[in-house]
Order: sequence, then C-alpha cells, then structure tokens
Amino acid sequence: MVFVLGIDIGSAQSKGIALGGQGSLGSFECPSGGDFKLTAEKLRGELLSQSGKTENDVSRTVATGYGSKLVFFADEIKPDIVCLAKGVSSLHPTVRTVIDVGDLYTKVLRTDGNGSVHNFLLSGKCAGGSGRILQVIARVLRVRVEEMGDLSLTSQKRVDFNTGCAVFAETEAISRLSQEVKKEDLLAGLHRALAAQINSLAERIGVEPDVAMTGGGARDIGLVRAFKEIRRHDILVPTDPHMIAALGAAIMALEGIEQ
Amino acid sequence: MSLKQSGAFSTVETYYNDYGQRAKELNREGKKVIGYVCSFVPLEIITASGAIPFRVRGSIHEPITRGDTLLETIVCPYYRSCFDLSVKEKYAFLSGMVIPHGCDSMVRSFSAWSYGLPLSYFHFVNIPSVCEESSLEFFGSELNTFRKSLEKFTGKAITEENLDQAIRVHNENRDKVRALYEFRKTDPPLISGTELTMTLTAGSSLPVEESNSLFDQALTEVKGRGNSPLKKGPRILIDGACLDNIELIQLVEELGGNVVTDTICNGTRDHFPKADADGNPIDALAHRYLDKINCPKTYRSNKAGTFEGDIENRFGDIGTYAREFNVDGAILYVYKYCDPFGFEVPARKVYYQSLNVPLLHLEDIYSAGTMGQLRTRIQAFLEMIG
Amino acid sequence: MAEEQKEAKPKKRMTATKAAASIGPMVKEFITGTLQAKAEGKQKVAYTFIVCHHEEIFRALDVMPVWTENFAGICGAKRDAERFLQRAESLGLSRSLCTYALCGIGFDQWREELGGMPPDAPWGGQVRPDFMISSGQILCDPRSKWYQASQQFMPDVPIYNIDLPYPLFQRNQDHRDVWSYYHQYIVKQLRGLVAFIEEQTKKKMDYDRLRELVNLSDRTWNLIDETYKLRRAVPCPMGTGDAMNTMVPINFMMATQKAYDFFVDLKKELEEKIVRGEGEVENEKYRLMWGGGLPAWYALSDFNYFNSKGASFPVETTYRMVAPLHDMDLPETKDPIEHLAWRWLGYWTFWFDKARKRPGSEPDVERLINWIEEYKIDGVVMHEAFSCRTWHVGLIWQLHQLAKIYKPIPVHVIGKDGKKEKVFKELPSLILESDIIDITSYSEVDTRNKIDAFVGALESIRANRAA
Repeated sequence: MVFVLGIDIGSAQSKGIALGGQGSLGSFECPSGGDFKLTAEKLRGELLSQSGKTENDVSRTVATGYGSKLVFFADEIKPDIVCLAKGVSSLHPTVRTVIDVGDLYTKVLRTDGNGSVHNFLLSGKCAGGSGRILQVIARVLRVRVEEMGDLSLTSQKRVDFNTGCAVFAETEAISRLSQEVKKEDLLAGLHRALAAQINSLAERIGVEPDVAMTGGGARDIGLVRAFKEIRRHDILVPTDPHMIAALGAAIMALEGIEQ
Repeated sequence: MSLKQSGAFSTVETYYNDYGQRAKELNREGKKVIGYVCSFVPLEIITASGAIPFRVRGSIHEPITRGDTLLETIVCPYYRSCFDLSVKEKYAFLSGMVIPHGCDSMVRSFSAWSYGLPLSYFHFVNIPSVCEESSLEFFGSELNTFRKSLEKFTGKAITEENLDQAIRVHNENRDKVRALYEFRKTDPPLISGTELTMTLTAGSSLPVEESNSLFDQALTEVKGRGNSPLKKGPRILIDGACLDNIELIQLVEELGGNVVTDTICNGTRDHFPKADADGNPIDALAHRYLDKINCPKTYRSNKAGTFEGDIENRFGDIGTYAREFNVDGAILYVYKYCDPFGFEVPARKVYYQSLNVPLLHLEDIYSAGTMGQLRTRIQAFLEMIG
Repeated sequence: MAEEQKEAKPKKRMTATKAAASIGPMVKEFITGTLQAKAEGKQKVAYTFIVCHHEEIFRALDVMPVWTENFAGICGAKRDAERFLQRAESLGLSRSLCTYALCGIGFDQWREELGGMPPDAPWGGQVRPDFMISSGQILCDPRSKWYQASQQFMPDVPIYNIDLPYPLFQRNQDHRDVWSYYHQYIVKQLRGLVAFIEEQTKKKMDYDRLRELVNLSDRTWNLIDETYKLRRAVPCPMGTGDAMNTMVPINFMMATQKAYDFFVDLKKELEEKIVRGEGEVENEKYRLMWGGGLPAWYALSDFNYFNSKGASFPVETTYRMVAPLHDMDLPETKDPIEHLAWRWLGYWTFWFDKARKRPGSEPDVERLINWIEEYKIDGVVMHEAFSCRTWHVGLIWQLHQLAKIYKPIPVHVIGKDGKKEKVFKELPSLILESDIIDITSYSEVDTRNKIDAFVGALESIRANRAA
C-alpha cells in the first residue's frame, strides 16, 4: 500500500502531511525551533503515529522549505515554489497566481493548473514585506499572532502606516502607540501597508486570475481582507493555507512512486 | 506653532495641500502643463513655449507601492516617491514630462518613467558633469535640442523674444524669493521656515506669472506684520537636496529652532541664481543651469590646489548664507542612496567646522514614519547649541 | 602575509577554461606592477575607471593606470573589504553609497594617515597615485565624486575629470540628429585629458603611437566579439563565471598586445572545446543569461552552484564592454582621438536602431531579446547590488518590459472549462540580491534556496513545454 510523507521545514514553522492512496492520513505542524533535524524527526514520528504506520511503511518522503536540506530521511528535496504550485493546483486548478506569505519571504508564483511553475519572485530585503513583520508587531502590541486578523477587522479608523519595512514599522508602531492610537486601527493600517507591498511585488511579474493566497500569512484574515480590497477581486484561500507546500511535497512523493 | 491663516498664506496652504490644483484647472482650459523633476530643467524654455512648468513632488505620507512594481528600492527615496505618485496618476493632468541628468536615479529610471506614464511628451536633457567652456557649448546645443522638441510638441516656434521674456519673468520670480528671504534676517525672522518653504513649493506648481503674484501677496503680508510668528531661538540653516515636504522644517520650528536659510533645491538652489538678461538667451540659460546652480552633481575642479581652497570654492555659498542670515547651527539632511550628496558629507563637515557652525548630519528615507526618531536628535542638537 | 585569510576564506571558483584560470596571477601581477612602478618612480601612476575609452591615451603617454574599481573588487573577492568600508562609514559616508568607492576612500584615508600601506593590505595594497582621472558620465555619479572625496586626504594629488556623455535612447529622436555635437564635446574632453597628462608627465603625445594603439584595441574589440560568439555553441564551452575572469583583459588591459594575445588563446581554446563537444557543465540542461548587474565578488562560487544543477551561462550583459566595430557604421576619421569619440558613441548607441523597430522595446531590452535567441537562452538571472544605482536601477523594468513584449515559451494550460489550451509565456527570471563587495548583505543559504527554486521552475517549464 502506498504511503508517502511531505515535510516542509520553514524558517519559523514546520509542517508535515501523510498521504495514502485514498487521501490524507495525517497532518501536523510545530515550531521549527533551533534544530531543524530534530524537528523533522518529530514531524515524522507524529505523522506515523497519526496514520498508524511505521518507518518501514513509508514508500517515499519529499522535503521542502528553508531547512529541507537537513531532513536526512527524505528521498528527495524539492524547492518550495514547486511544491506550492503542485499543492494549490491539486485543490484549485483554476489558480494562475499564488501568493505565499511566509515568515522569511513572500513568494509570488505563476502556475497553470498542471502544477508547473512559469515564473516566480521572492520578496527582497526591503521591497515586499514578509510575514515576519506581523510577528514583530504582535510583540509590540502584546497580542497573539492568531488574534491579529480578527482584531484588525474591528477597526473603525485605520491609521495610515508609512512603511512596510520591518525595521521602520516597529519604531513607527511604537511611536503611534505613544500617540494613543487603538491597537485595531494600527493593525488595520499595518495589514494595509503589508498588503500593498505584497501587491507591488506580485505586479512585478504580473498577476493573472485566479489568485490564491497561502502560507502562514493567509491565516491572517485582516491581511487577506486588505489584499482583497487593494486588488478589488476575490482571493482564494485554501483550507489550511499554511500546509500547502507540505501537501505539494506529499503529492510529488506520490508522483515519484508512480514514475 | 500655527500658521497665520490670512490671505496669501491661506492660498499658499491650499496650493501646498492640494498640490496641482491650479495646474489641473489650467489643463482643463486646454493649457499644456509640463512636469519636471530637479533643479536642472531649464524652466524658461518651457515657459517660452507657452506651456507651464510644474515641479513634480513626492509625499512623505504616502507609502511607496505601485512605484515599486517598476523601480528598484535602491533608488533615492525622494525620487521613488515622485515616481510612485506619478504612476498612481496623481499628476494625470500633465501633458508631458522632462527629466534631466540630475543623478543616476534619474538617468537609469528614465525608461520606467517614459513607459510607466501615459504622456504624449517625454524628454531627457543631458547635463554635463563638468563646468568649462566646452561643456557650456555642449549644453547650449542640448538646450536647443530640448527647445526643438518642445516646438515640435506645441507646434509653435520658440523665438529669442519668447526666451528673453521668459528669462525676465523667471528672474522676477527669483527677485521676489530673495525679498522673502530678506524677512528671515530679523531675529526672530518675520517669516517662518515652514511658511517660506511652503510658499516656494506652492509656487512651483503655478505658472510663473501666478507664482509672482502669489509671492507679491506674501511679501505685502509679511511686510505688514508687527510680530514674528516664531519666538527667538537657534537660527538654523538646512543643507541638502529637495525638501518638498515641510515636516522636517516644521519639526525644527516646533522644537524652538528658527529655520532662516537653506541650500535646498526648492529653496536657494533653485531660486537664487538668475539668468543673464542680455546676450544670447540660450548661452545665458546654459550658464545659469550649469554654472550658477550649485549642486554636488556638477564636478568643480580644484583650482586652489588645497583642500581648504577647494571646499571654499565648492561650498562658499553656505558660508555666505551662514553670515548673511546669522546662522547658529546647520542640519545636513541627506537621503539614503543619494550618491551626489552622500560623498560630500566628510568634506561638508570640515567646511562647517571652518565656519564654526555646529552641524547635525541626518540620513533619512523620505517617510513621515521616521519623524519620531528625528525629533529626538533635533531636540538634542537644538539644546546643545541653544 | 596578505595571503593569509580572515576567517571565511572564499571557496575557490572552478573555471571551465585554462584562459580564465590564468587571470588571477595576471591581476596580482599588475597590482604588484603598480607598486613597483611607484617605487622606481620612472613611470607615473594614475587612478582611473574602466569603460572610459581612454586606455590608449594612458598607454601612449606611458602612464600606468590603477583601476580603483578593480582593487575594491579584489578586497571584496578576498572577503577583506569590511574594514575599509567601516573606515569610510566612520568618516560620515553612508553604507548605501557605492561600496567600491567607500572601500577605496576608506583605504586611501587609512594609507594617508599611516603614510604607508594599511596592515595586511590585499596584494600589497593600492598605490598612492601621481594623479587621478575621474569621469563624469551619464553612466555613474560616484565616478566624479569618489576621487574628489579621496582628495580630502591627499590634496596634493591633482584630479582631471573627463565628461563622457552619450545620447540617451528616446523613442521619438534619432540619435544621429544630435550625436555630432556630442562627438565634438567628447573630442574636446579627450584632448583636454591629453593636455593634462602631457603636463603631468612632461611628455608629448606621439600621435602615431596613439593611432597604433587605437588600432590594436579596435582589433581586440572585434576579436573579443568573435570569441564570445563561440559561446553560442551547445553545450556552451565557457560560462559567465569564467567571463568574470576574462573581463580583466577587456576592462583593465585594453590597448595592450597581451590582451589581444589572451583572446587569441581563448578563442583557440574554445574552438577546441567545441570540436570535442566539451561544455562548461558536463550535462548541460539549462542555458541562462546573466542579464544584468555586477556580480557579488565574494560569492563567485555561486556560478559553480548553478553549474552543479546543469545550468550554464553562455552570455552576460555585464562587463562585455565591447561591440563589433564592423557593425557600427562609424564615420571615418584619421584622427585617433576623433575615432575614440566615435567608438564611444557607437558602443552606447549600438542597439538603438534595432530597439526603435520593435514596439515597446528599448536598447537594454532589445539586447536581452537578441541574445536570448542567439544563445538559446532558457531563463534570465540578474543581480541587484544594493549600493550601485548605475548598473542596478532599471533591471526590474527591463524584466517587466521583456515579459510584456516577448513570450517565446509555448505551454498547455487547463482553462476554466477544464480543457487544455496552448498559450505563450515569458521567459522565467531570477533576481538575486546582495552587493558587489559588502558581504554583510549576502546570505549563501538564501541565495542557494532561490537558485534551487529557479532551477525547479526551469525543470517544470521544460516538462510542460508544448510542441
């Protein structure tokens, strides 16, 4: 019986998916921590126990993500943009543009419904914001990252944030707080600024509909809404958007066996 | 500190806040408005063509977004902002645009501008990097090329008389600016730095004749003032490139300083030098823009053979202003990624030492987001020299 | 010894050609040569910049050029630029400025303060010049500011700044309508340079010798063009990694017999490799163009990393500062100075006519399109060096415009109705980000992750390419 693993070791969060011939048998995520190797072992252990399998049952493992080279039990390592295209296309074949908001980078890629990548762009040092800025601001505001989206939606009076650069955003947020700006208004402003930056990044290589948003950032409903407002069209967010690269990796593991 | 809301300055504030308001109207009336960036674009030629020169401005409050789609973030942040606002169609009333070789950021982004904006007229003016007989001659030819391209665009010849007339009226504008600066000489100055820079910025969005009458109103009003809008405080010179958002100057004055003079583009750099009114107008313009505009972009050869002599030659105008306006301290405000100014910082520092004028050097990114950081540093500086 | 390295000695880049491997010692030799010339005092040494078309004038008057961009690059390649950059910063210079210049100014200030070379100066250090020839160009602002800033620390060393403009491409203007006054001006600037150097060296220009040297570099230009065109072969015998070595004779040794001979040898070597079917990489899978940007000198081994993925670089826009003269149609002249000025204009306007013919094109974009076709390119790689506006502003726009007007890749996509349809897509591109010599801007992990992703995209396009 076919049983494969897709492991995505991100710079902040690690994700894994176990697939059998009939579909998903398990999924798990945990912080990447300092030791990617250990994290990968932990993910595998958890996926095996969820699916009731042993190491010997695994037909193939594909690893992806920032720390993928440290997944020593992987049969193959695939770049995350390739896995993202694969994962999204398997769920939503009409998607042509994927915007993945990760911790370290925002990635924009163009695909075709077959899961192949035509072109892509990664956010640069200062150009387009990545998800990290959300964590930085969460710390400043003393709110949990998971709460930021809902909080942002309650804003009545969004502040205009001048910068999407993480370094300046932090000082700007602190100085705004000292002016007694409400947290939700500040968050709404931040989401807007970040979404605008991500959009300019995406426009660099062109945006073809349909557009999907993935990655940890896509779990932030405030960011997704801000992005929709800027683009003035709907954005598809898959269920568990942060698991898409892991899903793509698992699908590629399946395809690897079929070949 | 609040602005005195009376006649002239309330008009100034309207034009400053709704920048381009008048140009939009003129465009609706069928006039051609030609946008430009940088002090090196010879405005007299635009005016002589019957079109209206309009200085494109940035905004430190507007995050740069669409501009980043086409332009690298290593471009001068001021210039990125100008580009961003332009591609966001803030200046959709323009009929054309002129960009000079003011710096690498301008040269290398010319394609992005000319394809990014849907304008029917675009022209690049090459500015020599040295000032000598052969470069003045070359620049004269380059100005004639510009003249011809405008003639083609407007369908109307630009005569010597048109140029002479344009030179006269632009020189008048510069005389009025000088007169406004005269009011900064009292202690405290009769016109605040915030008012003055706002006035000049507003002026650069108007046809020169209208700018002249606006400046006349401002002059009359300031002359009639009994009191200064400011309290006595350290008298500050601002040294740098284009500062078309008044927040920095406002901040200095809020913290008790009086901004009394500057070297900035929308200040003395643009407005003090006049073109010679007699003789060949193109020669006069070549001479004004290449020799009289003192921008670090133009290489001035070291004729003295000593460092001290060289900086006196290059920065002498700063010394003149410092004495003329009785300056207590200076702020050298340089944008990140600005090569022309950036490379002069060490030499300028020495020059200020030689003048005995205390100096605060700030590097900034053209964003309202950094004002908080600047506040602390400016406050400390003003306390130190106060 | 200078050879002993700070902690992280860069991995030595493997070269594909013997010629490229011979470059390292050559560079070291001319750095040593400048130190020796200065010590002996027989020959004047002068700071100057590459791409000024003035080498012939230097050599005809026996002046030894010190290429200050080269020395900064060496500091970068040896991962020993940081201390000079920090010194420049302590003078008040921002790290956002051209880091070549910062490194050079930091080094000069240190050398002048010590009255001798800074400790462990790379390859013996950069010699104190007799004079400096800077250049104001439409190409680069720091060129006319760098030596001026350095002069603060050596005020007795005179500067001559030559201005070398060229007409910028404007769609509605034929550059030939304006180039005669450009030519006149450049000629005057170059004659001014001759007069300045004559005064400094107390020598008179021998115009016959100058004519011979101009002729030699003209022949070298054409030879380089022929040699580089051999890289069109599949598999490609020499990549951009090697070209970052062979840029040395192009940019630092022009107007010497040695540069000419170097390309005679390289041409022969490439021809032999082509006959043997030997490529830069063993199994060439992808052919990439280095489409813009100066390289990160401390990370040239990234080219080997590309190679390890089966990617070869048959062509690059960087440092190929020559174009075939026979395709230029330059006005004839017997005067070598006038010829130099025409060659300058001919080089910078080389792609203008072609660009004007294709809607939406520009010279830089036109060159990309032409070379994509001539060299059978699968993808474009660019490098954004944060400190240099000269070569790195406009790259995003070029890629954007390229994608807009040029879509060479046929693919099948699944339409909304679930049916397959054939569409044409643009060439994929990759932008790497760091700096020419500021290693603090570079992350090997990030860079290689990006390269992996790019190769992944190339693979996926290859698999889905429609007939």
